[in-house]
Amino acid sequence: MSISPEEIKVVPRGPEPGGAGGAYRAFGETLRGLRTTMGRMFEKPVTIQYPEEKTPVYPRFRGRHKLHRFEDSHLEKCVGCSLCAAACPADCIRVVAAENDPEDRVSAGERYAAVYEINLARCIFCGYCEIACPFDAITMGHDYEMADYNRSDLIFTKEMLLAEPVERTPLRREGE
Amino acid sequence: MARKVPNRITLTVDGREIEADEGAMLVDAAKHGDIEIPVFCYEPKLGQPVGACRMCLVEVEGIPKLQTACSTPVRDGMVVHTRTEQVKEAQNAVVEFLLVNHPLDCPVCDKGGECPLQDITMGWGADRNRMVDEKRHFEKPVPLSPLIAIDRERCILCYRCVRFSQEVSEDSQLQLLERGDRSYVGTFDDRPYIAPFQGNITELCPVGALTNYTYRFQARPWDIEQGGSVCTLCPSQCNVSFTIRDEQVKRVIARDNPEVDDGWLCDKGRYGFQAMYSLDRVINPLRYEEGRPVPTGWSEAIDLAAAGLAESAGKTAALVGDASNEEGFLVQSIVRDGLGSADIDCRQAPAASRETVIAFSDPAISARTVDIDTADVVLVLGTDPIHSSPAYDLRIRKAVRRNGTALAVATDRPSALDGGATEVERYAPGQVASFLRDLAAGVASGSDSGIAGLLLGAEEAVIVWGERIGRGESGGEALAALLELSRALGLAGKAESGLIEIPDVANARGLREVGCLPDAGPGLSRTNVGRDVEQIRAGLESGEITSLILFGVDPLRDFPDTDGWRRALEVAGHVVCFSMNATATTEYADIVFPLESHAEKDGTVTHPEGRLQRVRPSAKRPGDIRAGWMALAELSAAIGHETGIHSAPEAFEAVTIAVPFYGGLTDVKIAGRGIRWQDNEAASLFAENLASASASNGAAASVSVGPAGESSPGTPGDSRPGDESPGGPDQKLTLGTYRDLWADTTTDLSPALNYLMPAQRLEISVADARRLGLSRGDDVSVTAGETSVNARVALRSALPEGTCFLIEGTIEGNANVFSNGRPARVEIGKPEVKLDLVAAGTAAAGEQPADGNQ
Repeated sequence: MSISPEEIKVVPRGPEPGGAGGAYRAFGETLRGLRTTMGRMFEKPVTIQYPEEKTPVYPRFRGRHKLHRFEDSHLEKCVGCSLCAAACPADCIRVVAAENDPEDRVSAGERYAAVYEINLARCIFCGYCEIACPFDAITMGHDYEMADYNRSDLIFTKEMLLAEPVERTPLRREGE
Repeated sequence: MARKVPNRITLTVDGREIEADEGAMLVDAAKHGDIEIPVFCYEPKLGQPVGACRMCLVEVEGIPKLQTACSTPVRDGMVVHTRTEQVKEAQNAVVEFLLVNHPLDCPVCDKGGECPLQDITMGWGADRNRMVDEKRHFEKPVPLSPLIAIDRERCILCYRCVRFSQEVSEDSQLQLLERGDRSYVGTFDDRPYIAPFQGNITELCPVGALTNYTYRFQARPWDIEQGGSVCTLCPSQCNVSFTIRDEQVKRVIARDNPEVDDGWLCDKGRYGFQAMYSLDRVINPLRYEEGRPVPTGWSEAIDLAAAGLAESAGKTAALVGDASNEEGFLVQSIVRDGLGSADIDCRQAPAASRETVIAFSDPAISARTVDIDTADVVLVLGTDPIHSSPAYDLRIRKAVRRNGTALAVATDRPSALDGGATEVERYAPGQVASFLRDLAAGVASGSDSGIAGLLLGAEEAVIVWGERIGRGESGGEALAALLELSRALGLAGKAESGLIEIPDVANARGLREVGCLPDAGPGLSRTNVGRDVEQIRAGLESGEITSLILFGVDPLRDFPDTDGWRRALEVAGHVVCFSMNATATTEYADIVFPLESHAEKDGTVTHPEGRLQRVRPSAKRPGDIRAGWMALAELSAAIGHETGIHSAPEAFEAVTIAVPFYGGLTDVKIAGRGIRWQDNEAASLFAENLASASASNGAAASVSVGPAGESSPGTPGDSRPGDESPGGPDQKLTLGTYRDLWADTTTDLSPALNYLMPAQRLEISVADARRLGLSRGDDVSVTAGETSVNARVALRSALPEGTCFLIEGTIEGNANVFSNGRPARVEIGKPEVKLDLVAAGTAAAGEQPADGNQ
């Protein structure tokens, strides 16, 4: 049986090993890689000394929630409408509202949040609460250091959320 | 007027062929084709549509202008379009108009999330508002009443609340004041809106303009769950839905059941839930040691209770009040089968015998609640529904207003329904028997005047009568005369007419039928005749009964003859008390078991029309409260009578087995709306009772009917008050008593209702007051024999001369100290000591009676 010329398929093949070309192909690429390595050897180290040093986060980073007050009146922006709780896919927000005493207001409107709790152990940091809030009372901050020893300590109350984040990471002391 | 069966017609809405009842409104008809037309002001419960909000505009072929779908009845072959450009434009415009002045403060508004205005704006509104001017402003929120806050900025002037006040509860207090864009809802002179059904307007309001103070900012719709149940605070047994947050009841709303409550709730049912969380609630078993309650574990309490009961076996009595059918059945089983006694009663005063109860339970002469809607004549006899069962008050008003029903009222005390009545007759307290004999004789002789004439001229007549007419010495005669009346009217042979009894306690009918009667066992069967409630009291005093089970009763507040009951409880050897709250009675108990509220209970109750309804657990039981059936089953086992009941369904099954005519009823049949046992197959078994009752007692049913006065010789207080010469030597008045809607523990323990707590007041006719030199607001003492009560004078022009009325169940000066049912002749004088027990706050409430339209 003979093979017709149409049936012959030409397969491209690599160069034959050996020779100068072979040596270049064996070590050339390695050397090119090593050039990067060697170049970094003389740079300063990029290690960040966490927790003493911290990487900056992006402006839209979604970290621990913050509740806000009005700057002028210092009333809470949150009116306890519970829309954040409705939006929350992890069901980690609990709001119990109450009526403001006109003599001693907590928030600007008729109602305020008597209880505002976020269970950060459940929170998935999706930021829906921030989007849902009609008064920009809750925003996602940049704090991401929230590890703790007890689950119950991860339930953040209104007072904790209104305050600036506490520095909770133990730092190495001088000379340690 | 029999209920008409409307013709079915076909119309086309948005290209869909829809079949509907002729005369139905387009909005309702469109729903059959799954087409929703938005509405604000339309609410069928409020009666005729008004077309005020213009939200429901639709295009009807052949009519050039848009029509309001809520007030356009459907015709055969009608072609309707709800989605054309013209309609859309109109809808957008209406929403935009409504939002012109709406503050859009949804985040702080309590309605947010369950607000029709939000929903309709999302669904049918344009997404922008061109309004740039200042919105109108009102002071907000201001109290419309002590229970309701009104925010007039949010109001969209749909008229629903005003229509409710004017056309349903007929108190006419709410009005739309001012004109045009200054219109606002209010009351005359900004007085508080005080009426017994005011809470309904908060449910009707399609925006957040009317909100309950009790629910203000308590929860959001996504924070809550709804639990359907039945309110057991009065015999109306309205269907309710509890709003639950954090396992606690936060709000009570109506659960529409047109056959029971028409979708309305009274304020007691709506705001009385607060009593469940009062500090007076008994939340664990208590044992009294040297007069002091000591919290006790369940097993110890049950052992102690059982030991005490077993010691006095055969000499035990039981009184049942606020109980489900299952609980009532278990109590009677403990008393009859466990302790070998027959002394059990579920009434506050002795009334009908077994035979009479059976005669009145005869399905042939029983009316349904809905029969009131279409009756030609409704006779309200010996009860004032606004106090005894408020839902009936609204239903009767509805029949008069919308159906043209002629209303006849025959009561001793002027009732709230007098205003709409065609015929009103007053009898003196205790004279109902002679009145009924006259009436029955009038009907038998074909009289054409007065109530008799009205009843005879009616094709369908419904008689709504109060259990109270059976109290007292002539009670038996009164009931016999009422049966005679129903026979003379031929009620047995007529559909959609008959009798409805309004009992004194919520589940009275159920308790009687499961055997909590001294002379009838489960299913009203014949049994060893025991002592009735009054004989039990006498037996306790004489030492023939040594131990007592009190299940959900408070004799010292609710029963006639308070002093007698106090003496009886003092000498009673062993008192086991099941009570929801600490009361005067629990002080006399040896062991107190906590009871569940109607938001926690699992059981069935029987409506006065025979409808079995299920009370479903919705909230968590506070403290260490256990189910009533469980406590009773354990107690029963501890005294050596094993019931074999280990779950709530088993308890209900035991009831359906023991009561033949409840046979075959299941939770599935009862479902959400309940089922009348008369409509169940097993109802035919009731005929056995009828046969046995008529065989054993023909006498009760055939008292001779003669003219009044002949058969009732000179019992004290029997002379008609009119016969007396006013100003004669006898300065005494005939005293009648009535139970005020608000004179009860629920009001005391619910902070929201506290302002309604009635202070004792003496209702007296103008003529008597003039004769005795009294004027409104005077403090007087009312004396009969050695008993005396202090009260404040209230004048009532509708009261016949010679009679006066006091309230039962008030905290101070409870009129129950005068033996009830036997009218006392009382003297009225100035109190010796000026009492300051009427606090300023309650005095104001005392002048505002529950009858809203005074």
